[in-house]
Amino acid sequence: TFFHNAYQWFHSVDADRSGFINSKELKQALVNSNWSNFNDETCLMMINMFDKTRSGRVDLFGFSALWDYIQQWRALFQQHDRDRSGSISGTELHQVLTQMGYKLSPQFSEMLVQRFGGRGGSHGIQLDRFIQACTQLQSMTQVFRERDTGMTGNVRLNYEDFLASAVTRLM
Amino acid sequence: MAYPGYGAPGGGFPGMPPQQQDPLYGYFSQVAGQDGQISADELQRCLTQSGMSGSYQPFSLESCRLMINMLDRDMSGTMGFNEFKDLCQALNGWKATFSSFDRDHSGTVEGHELQQAITTMGYNLSPQAMNCIMKRYSNHGRIPFDEFVSCCVRLRALTDQFRRRDTSHSGNASFQYDDFIQVTMSV
Repeated sequence: TFFHNAYQWFHSVDADRSGFINSKELKQALVNSNWSNFNDETCLMMINMFDKTRSGRVDLFGFSALWDYIQQWRALFQQHDRDRSGSISGTELHQVLTQMGYKLSPQFSEMLVQRFGGRGGSHGIQLDRFIQACTQLQSMTQVFRERDTGMTGNVRLNYEDFLASAVTRLM
Repeated sequence: MAYPGYGAPGGGFPGMPPQQQDPLYGYFSQVAGQDGQISADELQRCLTQSGMSGSYQPFSLESCRLMINMLDRDMSGTMGFNEFKDLCQALNGWKATFSSFDRDHSGTVEGHELQQAITTMGYNLSPQAMNCIMKRYSNHGRIPFDEFVSCCVRLRALTDQFRRRDTSHSGNASFQYDDFIQVTMSV
């Protein structure tokens, strides 16, 4: 079962047996298909999402949920990485977003790959940055929805609210 | 036959295009190709060679990529000379702010100093947003210059995008969903 795997991973990474994993330790546990470790920003984002204790670390239960989350994204990633390159191109990302129900332009997906791509985006994005981009996209969509109470597809924001929303979700 | 009154091309003669008299142009043209544009790694070289990071560590490639994004109107992923000049002006400002807080010249500032620096630059962020910034940019409670600049670049890019849509200068702007996502996700 997947929980069994998460349990094994947790204990292999929690070297000091503290019962907690921080962002740096998490980085050791998470790898892309070319065995490169997940980037720092994605690890930090994962900790923030699954840390219920607000201590900057996850316990076994937080880690299990985190693990499940990653496996779901990994499945989606592999489904669309048709050439098994370990990277998703702008075109492939556009298909992912369409499948997820977004109606964003192909140019938008190209921009995301450029923006989130580790090496200038020309080689596409690996799993870590794919998870980072998709999670932030969901997060910013949530920000928009919360303010678009009339469901018009339009919001009016003041500058401080705009800046704070962007900062808290993207940084 | 060429008009003799124009003088010969080369350094310092009257009638030369203004940009060639700018000392920054020397550094820029050394790395820029025929198209007069520089990419993130070329920017990194340019900033190092021109001493823009001062006594601090050179800028990371990731920071340079953010800097290009900040000024990249045409989404080309590259930067022209005028954008480079704007960037250097902004960098000098951020460097001055940073060094005013880095009193022990360690090349880093502390969390609360970062907060003060951001407020000094005119940003009015909520405590929650400040907290996010500190978690994201501090390493054991300290923020190095390069990370400080990264943060400033992103705040400035978001602000510039907002301002462009606040045509009445009221501090409010309307966003359609696609535009909102485009703006926030590209920073």
